[in-house]
Amino acid sequence: MRNPFLDFRSVPIRKKEIPLDRIVRAKQAIMDRIIEGYLALVEEEVKGLVWLVGQSHEVRTYNAALRSIQGLQYDQDDVEELCAELDSAKKVPYLISGPAGIYLSALINQAREERILLRLQDFERTFHFLGYRLPQGKTLILRGNVGDFIGASLAGGRLVVEGSAGNWCGAGMTGGEILVTGLTGQKTGEWMRGGRIQVDGRIWGVGQNRYGGEIYHRGRPIAPLGAVDQSQSEDDDGPG
Amino acid sequence: MSPENNGALRETVWEIHDYIRENLYLNRPDIEVKGVRFNAALLMSILTGLCQGKELIIGEPGLGKTTSAEYVCSLLYGFPLGTIWGSEVAGHPEQTEEKIIGRPDLGRLNQGEEVVVWSHFALLPVKIVDEINRLPETKQSMILDGVDRGNWEYLNDAIINREYCLFATANYQDRGTHTIIAPLIDRFDVMVESKHPGANLAYLIGSAGSDGRALRHEELEAAFQKVLGERLPYQVRMERIEELCAEFRWALAQDHGIRTLSRDERKAFRVQKAQIPFDLDFNAFLRLVLSELSFCHRFGQKRSLERCEEGCHFTGYLCNHLQNCISNRFPMSVRGFSQALAWLLGDQAVGLEHLKALLPFTLAHRLRWNEETVAQREREPRQDPLEIYMAKQGVEEMHRRYMEQGPQIKEALAVASRIMEGEPLEPIMGDHPIYWEIQRDLGKEGLER
Repeated sequence: MRNPFLDFRSVPIRKKEIPLDRIVRAKQAIMDRIIEGYLALVEEEVKGLVWLVGQSHEVRTYNAALRSIQGLQYDQDDVEELCAELDSAKKVPYLISGPAGIYLSALINQAREERILLRLQDFERTFHFLGYRLPQGKTLILRGNVGDFIGASLAGGRLVVEGSAGNWCGAGMTGGEILVTGLTGQKTGEWMRGGRIQVDGRIWGVGQNRYGGEIYHRGRPIAPLGAVDQSQSEDDDGPG
Repeated sequence: MSPENNGALRETVWEIHDYIRENLYLNRPDIEVKGVRFNAALLMSILTGLCQGKELIIGEPGLGKTTSAEYVCSLLYGFPLGTIWGSEVAGHPEQTEEKIIGRPDLGRLNQGEEVVVWSHFALLPVKIVDEINRLPETKQSMILDGVDRGNWEYLNDAIINREYCLFATANYQDRGTHTIIAPLIDRFDVMVESKHPGANLAYLIGSAGSDGRALRHEELEAAFQKVLGERLPYQVRMERIEELCAEFRWALAQDHGIRTLSRDERKAFRVQKAQIPFDLDFNAFLRLVLSELSFCHRFGQKRSLERCEEGCHFTGYLCNHLQNCISNRFPMSVRGFSQALAWLLGDQAVGLEHLKALLPFTLAHRLRWNEETVAQREREPRQDPLEIYMAKQGVEEMHRRYMEQGPQIKEALAVASRIMEGEPLEPIMGDHPIYWEIQRDLGKEGLER
């Protein structure tokens, strides 16, 4: 068919942009940088694709994460979107639980918002290390079940888990509060130095190496009094 | 033709216009184009004469419909009024093909030869049909081909007018009038009303100098009559006629200082007119107009026998208020007349203002509005007959939409052009029918599935 529009061939085509496009593009740029930071972190920290808790790995990873997100403007939606990306593994080629959780925690701790809600209930993956070093003045609400080391090294913040947490919940926390509406796993509060853990569901085991802090089960203090109803924890030497 | 000659030709046309306005057809200006005020009836007649167009002039009896056409024909084509009168066809129920087009030469027929005596109406390049709507519908079909192509046939003979223009007048409906059939009315490029000039100008009509006496020349009229009656081949007769026209033009200039156009000058006008380019706004706006007057989302296009569904998404566009589909003659009329108007105004390109000024007159007779729309509009205060008023309102509506969406429409057309050339772009979509038409041209289904 003859081109009936030929007269308009020389009309310049403007790249049209509606406000929504701009917002989406800005959000995407932020997300790209966040993911880039995560991949750089994984590259740096897990050269051999092995990452073990302890041996100061998590401290070094956390510091590296802080460096990589320095100056980044993001909000809790971006953090939640990263969870989704990690869950779907579309843009993130590999997920390593420890660094991923610590990276998310670094983002949460550096976010502008004081109160952050992450809806994790629909994700297939289980996230670990969330709430790592949550500082004073921050409240983190995790909706859905979460993995191990939730609230590890909590530093004065308030962590609410609307679901169940895995092992090592509140490990090494120095202050603040952890509320778990479901159950917690083994070694809850291991190496705890301060703060308070409140669990509404079952506690599968309390850590034996604790140096302070309080653990409550359904409102009743069970540590430091030492009475644990559900089970006796195993006397592990700790992670590593 | 050099720019100087170009200017001289335009000057002559303006002189003709001004002479008619000041002396022969006294009427008020009623339209303004690019700051120049015109009387629409006179302007349309001048453009019709120049463009070899076809004009339908409506109005009350005695308000100058026929005489204005006669003056324009006389001065643009160089015929004395008496010759023009002799070639006019009057519409009435008893009109026959033999009176309008031609008849057998009875003398020769008696000798067994079939020779056609062509009517002056068929022969002359200026054609006036007075009171065309008094011709019954069946007899209107007789002049369809001639009106459309200048192609006149009788018995086994035919003549083709190389140059011609046609003016038809129509009175408002009364007991003796008939509806002008759709194919005939569509062949008119423009429709205009010859209005009452108002009490003060009307008082002057018929006074000295305003009776057209200067355009009479009895001696030459007799000569024209003689040549027209000679049994010579058509082209030979036309050459003789042109010689007489030149004599009449010379006499007019000598006796009255009135300049008129020669056949070569009219030809030069047509060449110059055709060279004036259309700008992109003209182009895009005309596409928008065409889309509103032909588009139907439900049935693919407007058709006279199909009615719009209630609750159609496109209620806000003209397609929803019309019964018929605009014809392909419409864009041809509007392009030609707009170029002529731009030429008259000395413009370098044909633009939106030329188009907007001409649209109501090229559309008024071609649009068949639905009953609800007519009922809604007919009692509104107005200065024009209903058809022209409604066309003007419709054009205003479409123009407003173009002013709002023009850049986007042009961009959509630009994108479409690039898509057609293979660029991987997505067509720009919008609500207006033009976007849907673009989609269809790009082979994308415009209808919802």
